[in-house]
Amino acid sequence: MTANMYRVGDYVYFETSSTFPYQIRRIEELNKTPSGNVEAKVMCFYRRRDLPSQLIQLADKHQCALDETNGSPKSDVSLCSDQLGPKQRHQMKHRELFLSRQVETLPATHIRGKCSVTLFNETEALSSYLNKDDMFFYCLVYDPTQKTLLADKGEIRVGSRYQCDIQQLLRDGESDGRELAETEALVWTPNHNLSDRQIDQVLVVSRSVGTFARALDCSSSVKQPSLHMSAAAASRDITLFHAMDTLHRHEYDLANAMCSLVPSSGPVLCRDEMEEWSASEANLFEEALDKYGKDFNDIRNDFLPWKTLKNIIEYYYMWKTTDRYVQQKRVKAVEAESKLKQVYIPNYNKPNSAALNNNKGVLNGNSNGTGADPAVALGTKACESCNVTSSTQWYAWALPHMQCRVCEQCWAYWKKYGGLKMPTRFGDSVDFDGSAKKRSGSDIEDDKGMGHRPHRCNIGGCAKEFKLKAHLGRHYATAHGIAVRAGSPRPVMKTRTAFYLLTTPLTRLSRRLCRHLMKPKHAARCPSYVINLQAVKQECAVQMANKTHEELQQLLLYCKRNRGSVTAIATRLGTLLPDAATPQWLLLTNKTLLPQPDVVAFPKPPKAPDGSLMYERVPNKPDADKIPVNNMSPSLKRRAYEEMNGIDSSCLNAPPAKRMSKEPMPISRHPVASSALPGTGPLAGNTALSSNADQYQMMMAAAVQAHTPAGLSGPMPRQVAQVNGKPKIAQMTRSGSGRKQVISWMDAPDDLYFKATEHSKKIRRQISSVELRRAARKPWRYFKTRLDEPPVVVLD
Amino acid sequence: MTTQPHSRKRVCYYYDSDIGNYYYGQGHPMKPHRIRMTHNLLLNYGLYRKMEIYRPHKATAEEMTKFHSDDYIRFLRSIRPDNMAEYNKQMQRFNVGEDCPVFDGLYEFCQLSAGGSVAAAVKLNKQASEICINWGGGLHHAKKSEASGFCYVNDIVLGILELLKYHQRVLYIDIDVHHGDGVEEAFYTTDRVMTVSFHKYGEYFPGTGDLRDIGAGKGKYYAVNIPLRDGMDDESYESIFVPIISKVMETFQPSAVVLQCGADSLTGDRLGCFNLTVKGHGKCVEFVKKYNLPFMMVGGGGYTIRNVSRAWTYETSVALGVDIANELPYNDYFEYFGPDFKLHISPSNMANQNTQEYLEKIKTRLFENLRMLPHAPGVQVQAIPEDAINEESDNDDKADKDERLPQKELDKRIVPDNEFSDSEDEGEGGRRDNRSYKNRKRPRLDKTTESKEEEKPKEEVKSEKSEESSKTSSDDTTTDTG
Repeated sequence: MTANMYRVGDYVYFETSSTFPYQIRRIEELNKTPSGNVEAKVMCFYRRRDLPSQLIQLADKHQCALDETNGSPKSDVSLCSDQLGPKQRHQMKHRELFLSRQVETLPATHIRGKCSVTLFNETEALSSYLNKDDMFFYCLVYDPTQKTLLADKGEIRVGSRYQCDIQQLLRDGESDGRELAETEALVWTPNHNLSDRQIDQVLVVSRSVGTFARALDCSSSVKQPSLHMSAAAASRDITLFHAMDTLHRHEYDLANAMCSLVPSSGPVLCRDEMEEWSASEANLFEEALDKYGKDFNDIRNDFLPWKTLKNIIEYYYMWKTTDRYVQQKRVKAVEAESKLKQVYIPNYNKPNSAALNNNKGVLNGNSNGTGADPAVALGTKACESCNVTSSTQWYAWALPHMQCRVCEQCWAYWKKYGGLKMPTRFGDSVDFDGSAKKRSGSDIEDDKGMGHRPHRCNIGGCAKEFKLKAHLGRHYATAHGIAVRAGSPRPVMKTRTAFYLLTTPLTRLSRRLCRHLMKPKHAARCPSYVINLQAVKQECAVQMANKTHEELQQLLLYCKRNRGSVTAIATRLGTLLPDAATPQWLLLTNKTLLPQPDVVAFPKPPKAPDGSLMYERVPNKPDADKIPVNNMSPSLKRRAYEEMNGIDSSCLNAPPAKRMSKEPMPISRHPVASSALPGTGPLAGNTALSSNADQYQMMMAAAVQAHTPAGLSGPMPRQVAQVNGKPKIAQMTRSGSGRKQVISWMDAPDDLYFKATEHSKKIRRQISSVELRRAARKPWRYFKTRLDEPPVVVLD
Repeated sequence: MTTQPHSRKRVCYYYDSDIGNYYYGQGHPMKPHRIRMTHNLLLNYGLYRKMEIYRPHKATAEEMTKFHSDDYIRFLRSIRPDNMAEYNKQMQRFNVGEDCPVFDGLYEFCQLSAGGSVAAAVKLNKQASEICINWGGGLHHAKKSEASGFCYVNDIVLGILELLKYHQRVLYIDIDVHHGDGVEEAFYTTDRVMTVSFHKYGEYFPGTGDLRDIGAGKGKYYAVNIPLRDGMDDESYESIFVPIISKVMETFQPSAVVLQCGADSLTGDRLGCFNLTVKGHGKCVEFVKKYNLPFMMVGGGGYTIRNVSRAWTYETSVALGVDIANELPYNDYFEYFGPDFKLHISPSNMANQNTQEYLEKIKTRLFENLRMLPHAPGVQVQAIPEDAINEESDNDDKADKDERLPQKELDKRIVPDNEFSDSEDEGEGGRRDNRSYKNRKRPRLDKTTESKEEEKPKEEVKSEKSEESSKTSSDDTTTDTG
């Protein structure tokens, strides 16, 4: 199982072509695509055979240098060059890779196994790599775009600009003039007469004083209405640090220290940022965090200018301990779900297209018939690499007409290490491209063959050469705007460079004149439609000859056809609706007519007087399980957001809204009888603009009604509650500098303020609750009140 | 050099309550907040009350220019996020901008971090403390006139420079996952500071720290680099750390040690790729502490902040010689340590790419280099076997020294026949043990430590190895006699 689990950071074989050796990559990221496939972002390692020939020479030179430096007779490293036989030297070349900083994306299903790539260390014997399977090493970094080969190494620089000047050792008794008083200030010392227990007692006392102080403090008692909350707030580390400081300041005299906790001005109250912030400030902060991320400077400037940056940062790190943060993290976690840590790829066992089925279908039967012909021809040939004549499976190696085949083992070797075990008659680098077959641009789709032949761009006059097909594909995409699918289904297309088409007057003329030939509407829909330019040119010339200069100029003028505004069209279409009555099947079935279940598994809890459901509180599991450390009562363990953040006095019942605009706006487009509204002459029959305050109140009334059909007995709706909110949010504030600053409302839609008049209330009373509810669900529906006046649609 | 079991030390700890509020910027992995988290854990573990806590001074520009160039410090002092545009050219020159962003209070942050390390060094120089801790320091990448790898001012170099006034040789050990290139470069050509860095090497920041980098000029062989690969676990780390540090101590014989405790070598670090646990990381501290040299511990990397504060809290407890519970105490940032709320972490199942063979090879090579040091004894030195860490030693401290010693303690003190020392319990009955000579090793004593530790003569007699051998040989006696 674990062998087939591929994690980020693993080195793996990728198969991008069945006849080519695997590619060696390191997984950098695993991403789940929307279609459910897994894509791997990988770092590329190149083999020797992938390098241009001049760089191979360079690599060889480096190898030699490496051997020489290790040539010290004692170390066993010298094994690597001199004592390696030609066969090992040959195989060694297959184990060397070249790191590149190139990253590409491949489908994870093409993974064919794990391997290991390490930076070569000169203490190691090269032979240690040969003895282990799937081991590779690298020393050099290859840059495929610049075609360079560099050592991956930083350097320690030497010179007076890098080293420091070192002072002479002082003689005995000599002093450097340093005074401890200048470099440090004592805050606590363990050299005192107090026992551990006494210190603990002081800490408890300071917490108790803190709790009491919170009870006395008005603002605190509002924020922490319960004793538990006060005690929790008084147990925060700031109180403890203060207690320790107090002890130290009073020279570890218990009596003095404790007395100083309750000076004449009242018990000492230490509050950290978490407690200092009001609930509305906290909300502002969360909103800001949403908008700006953790750019605290921007957050400060635009949302919380009365706080210092340090306040905000300290608060942020404390805020992270609240359950609010956990909620946000959960949201993020869902987003991050597409990023995988590991992926399971089963062993790949489909027959390879290069497999020869000369074994009369015993093992791999008729794979796909491609190998059939050579199989016959190859009948008696020995393995190209190890000269074995019997193998359970043969594979066609190199080009078909060369009629080489390799045994199963050698095939596996070839796939993994990109070479044959033994140096062959073709040499090492010849491999597949020994053929003289001319490669035209059209066969780029052809996967087989051509190990080193550069991929040439076949667009006229370009003829650039590329090492990899993927690069050619990218070149096609970027330079010529052609999407060529390479072997991998990875979209090779990058954003095209923008282009600007400047039409000449003649072109524009031809468009007008030869509309019948060009069929612009058709062409727009089918981009592949070929326009016969010759015909257009001819036709255009003929037509132009018949026209005067003025006529032509007239043609060139662009005149927009007036079709009316979208709004108008929408409104027009909207008016048609009432004629079409709602069909019967669209109406909701009456609840009483619905079938009732015999047993209700989860009956509704009883209703509170305000109409809300009363749920029994179930404590969180971790809450109950946690054992308190530090003599804290269990109730102090988890901080509910409210607990830490306090509750604002203005809205004890409901959490304060950040802005009223956050609520969906049921008011807009909500038809309300408005007959009695003065000055709302129906505009265009049924449209009125809500510039009028009264009318707006109407809308709000309807909205409020829709929300709380039982009237206003329930909790205050958000919009209304917000009006009583902290003045800070909505008003101008002065920051420390005295500079006036407007707290931006950001992208808030137009603000609404609703005030019910006598009249609107009256109308509201006339609407039955059923009607209201229906209206809320179907804002487009007209409904008539008893006053039965022409309806008004309000556009926002 | 002699190692000693755990003993109570005078520990000074440097912390400024402002340090947690510096913020490198959105998405930046370096978070000074981790130092505050450590501090709060220390308070709630009750370690705070066991050491001297100091607020360090802010290092002055003059102090910083002891190492750094004047114009670089002048630049750091004047750059602010709101005037960055005017300093474009200098920012490039001093490598400030990307990894090392300009943030609010940048200079103050550098002052505090450097101030702590300098104050710690002065403290050690005055012999007013045995161990000094500055978790706000350890910014080992900073160069003479260049910021690098989240480091602007190299507090370690400044601290070592201070130590060099009173110490002929200072040893610097770096267990950050990154190479300590700034410190190595600063002392690359001197034989008075030996820099030993254990780090991931290969396709990794900062790209230096090859096995072959051994120093230059007079400083040749005084830079020791241990290049490691991904997935180092506790066992492998100890197997390379202990012999190399033992050897270094033996040959270099420093009179003060600075240990950079970068916590990015822990498992699960955001930037690191090792697999150490808090225990394994702390073992390095434990081991170095046993040499009883003036000892400065500084912070460093560490980008999974909950684990950083775990490690540094544990290492503070190691420095203090106090055991702390695995349950984390409640504190302001308790929720960060979920879901288990434990001090110790377990390693991941990542593969360790450092084979025993590879580590062995590196060790041999480094030993060859260390033999070139002039201090090295002429005779062939064997590697000290890895028995130097004694798990039992904690108990010594628990026994009340005024009470009668428990039998277990007395048994431990049986002096071998060939030992001629005036131990205080000699003559208590003239007990000699009759075990075989095979496993015996002479407890070695260092003159300097003896005089220093006069107030605790009881513990002095037993060194690591005598205990170890008495443990093993007690089995032998039973077989021999019975």
